[in-house]
Amino acid sequence: MKNRSKAFVAGCMVAALLSTLSFTNASASVSLKKAFPTGPVTLTMWWWGDQEAPGAKLWVADTVKAYKVKHPNVTIKTVLQTTDGLVPAFAAAAAAKKGPDLQYFWGGIYAQQPGWDGQIAAVSDYIPATELKHYVNASTEESFQGKIWTAPWYLNPSFPVLARTDVLSKYGLKVPTTWKDLLNTCDVLSAKGVPALAGGVKDGWFGGWLYSILGAQSVSSSKDVVAAVTGTQKFTDPMHADWWTRLQETQQHKCWNTDINSLELYQAQQLWKDGKAAMTVVAGPDAPNFANAVGASKVVVMAMPKWGNGPFAGKMGSTSQTIGITKWSKNKEVAADFLMFSHEKAQLDNWFVRTGSMPADDRFDLNGVKDPVKKALFQSAMPGGPYLENFIPAQLDTDAVFANVQLVLKGTKTGKQAAADMQALMERLRKTDRNLVKNFTAWSK
Amino acid sequence: MIKTAPTENAVTAPRVIGAVTSRIKGSGPFFWILPAALCVVVIFGYSIVDLVQQSFKYQGAWVGLDNFRLVLTDPLFHIAIFHNFLLLFTVPILAILSFLCAVLLFETRRGMKFYRSAVFLPYILPIPVVGVVFGQLLQLNGALNSALRALGFHSLALDWLGDPGQALWTMSAIIIWKEVGFGTILILARLISLPLETLEAARIDGAGFFRLHLKITLPQLKPVILFYIINEAIVMVSWVFNYVYVMTNGQGGPGNATVVSELYIYRSAFQNKSPELAATAALLLLLATLVFIVGFLKIQKNSNSGNSHE
Repeated sequence: MKNRSKAFVAGCMVAALLSTLSFTNASASVSLKKAFPTGPVTLTMWWWGDQEAPGAKLWVADTVKAYKVKHPNVTIKTVLQTTDGLVPAFAAAAAAKKGPDLQYFWGGIYAQQPGWDGQIAAVSDYIPATELKHYVNASTEESFQGKIWTAPWYLNPSFPVLARTDVLSKYGLKVPTTWKDLLNTCDVLSAKGVPALAGGVKDGWFGGWLYSILGAQSVSSSKDVVAAVTGTQKFTDPMHADWWTRLQETQQHKCWNTDINSLELYQAQQLWKDGKAAMTVVAGPDAPNFANAVGASKVVVMAMPKWGNGPFAGKMGSTSQTIGITKWSKNKEVAADFLMFSHEKAQLDNWFVRTGSMPADDRFDLNGVKDPVKKALFQSAMPGGPYLENFIPAQLDTDAVFANVQLVLKGTKTGKQAAADMQALMERLRKTDRNLVKNFTAWSK
Repeated sequence: MIKTAPTENAVTAPRVIGAVTSRIKGSGPFFWILPAALCVVVIFGYSIVDLVQQSFKYQGAWVGLDNFRLVLTDPLFHIAIFHNFLLLFTVPILAILSFLCAVLLFETRRGMKFYRSAVFLPYILPIPVVGVVFGQLLQLNGALNSALRALGFHSLALDWLGDPGQALWTMSAIIIWKEVGFGTILILARLISLPLETLEAARIDGAGFFRLHLKITLPQLKPVILFYIINEAIVMVSWVFNYVYVMTNGQGGPGNATVVSELYIYRSAFQNKSPELAATAALLLLLATLVFIVGFLKIQKNSNSGNSHE
């Protein structure tokens, strides 16, 4: 009996030891389902990002080259996509189940939707959780029922307002910090024929930015937005609609350049660089470049002046731009290995060197960042507020937000009408996309 | 009776073979076009069958007329169709301008080659180039408005592409500028091939410029002008996507001011990831285009029968 019980205890101990070992190795073995191939492997990566993080192209070339040194049998072909073509090109590729192995996705819904549609494999199936936990915003934007769809690549503090003190002081003004200050600044500058804010909405994207930085000031979390999507709240509720009225106020106080509707965002930002506008809004990764272009000492980087009382009012949002692995890729393990390689210290540091922006990895050493503008920007995004645009259906963004921002800023629609239009479209989308409510509800849990 | 039957067969058999042979010989042209016809049938036929199938399904499951209901009740689809309808008003303008340009070129003695090239040049320019150039030119503070302001025409310096009330008309003007070259060359080619005797006879009888071309030239150009009108009508209904996409960054803005049915289809399929709704809208657009194609065929038939009576 004693021998039996001893044997039982010993057996249990061995079993426990083995299970412990297997548990600790489980995460590490996620990406090692298959042995690393020794034959030639070619991966294709469709990406975007040089537009908002200039220098990304150099980093991609460096990283691909470094990976080739590590794995001479792996060739990675990279294709830079246009802003307008990024989503449609991937949609066409997904329909044909042919194209990239690695695909760039903006965060949130832009990464969720391809996951829901079965177009990408969850990176969490190939990258260990111990590794993924370091990828900033992965759990807030890219997770879905325990899986992580895509791997965050770089951080996008969203979106800083850049104010030029030289332009403001020329008219006896200070950098506005409250909404009232901002409207006053608009009144003073518009009387002089100078736009307080430079923006371009012809291509639509800036509309989504404005929604995110104005709309976030009155919600308590991204769950509120998802609730309005699923129908338990409404986009006409004050929490979701008041930002439209604030936007209308900026139009009424002539805050923007008069040609805002006929300029693309990047064209309009040039007005600020040229000293023809006092403030502008830029992509987080690009903010240091903008500041340096006109002289960092003349620039104040800040969040959109506060108008709301929500927890994110006066704070910057945070989102990460990501890379996913396509479902049809024949080399998912290699693709995942490349993604992990891109998060190694050498690559993280090189990203900062090449672009001046922050990689989406909490292992990146912020102590190495000496520039106070950059440091403040990076810290503001870790953790930052929710980036609202990423929590609504993409069609609501383009058809309701982009379109109505253009009309409100032109003065042909009121904020109230825009909110009603957004709600009406949301109600319609629940009918056209029969899985929308189910998917968004599951995402919010 | 029984015996005669084989005899009859024996007599008629060569006739039948002869008839079949002559039929085969007669259908020679059909054999020649068979490879091309097969390509068309396979490529377009397959696509249309697939389109019809998709328009009755949602993610592979049969949904009956649900997609049609959703598309036909979509306010944006109504707007898109209405914009296509409005663009049809450019067709008569195009026809008149093309006719005028063709006649002027026909009457021009010096520098005809240069003028012809100048008129035709916009037609051969790639639409993305046209879109980018006009996009810059027509900005509120772009080159055109700067010139207008410099000349003192401040009230004419409009937000051509940025104002929802003007954007579609601006786009129409650009389409006219680009498409008129095609019509001009088409009509001019026919004009040059007309017998000169009738024109000379009319001139001798004292017909002036306008009378000559309205009463003598225009009736003779009727078939080619009708062809051009039908062709341009099809363009306005289903071929303006490139203009809209390039000039509005794929948005159809400002607001929905320039959304047309093709953009609606494209956005449904590739931006909004609703291929079924895109297929349904495409099927409806195909039916609308068919109306014009049938109209064109009828006109062609009438024109041919008219010619044969002559």
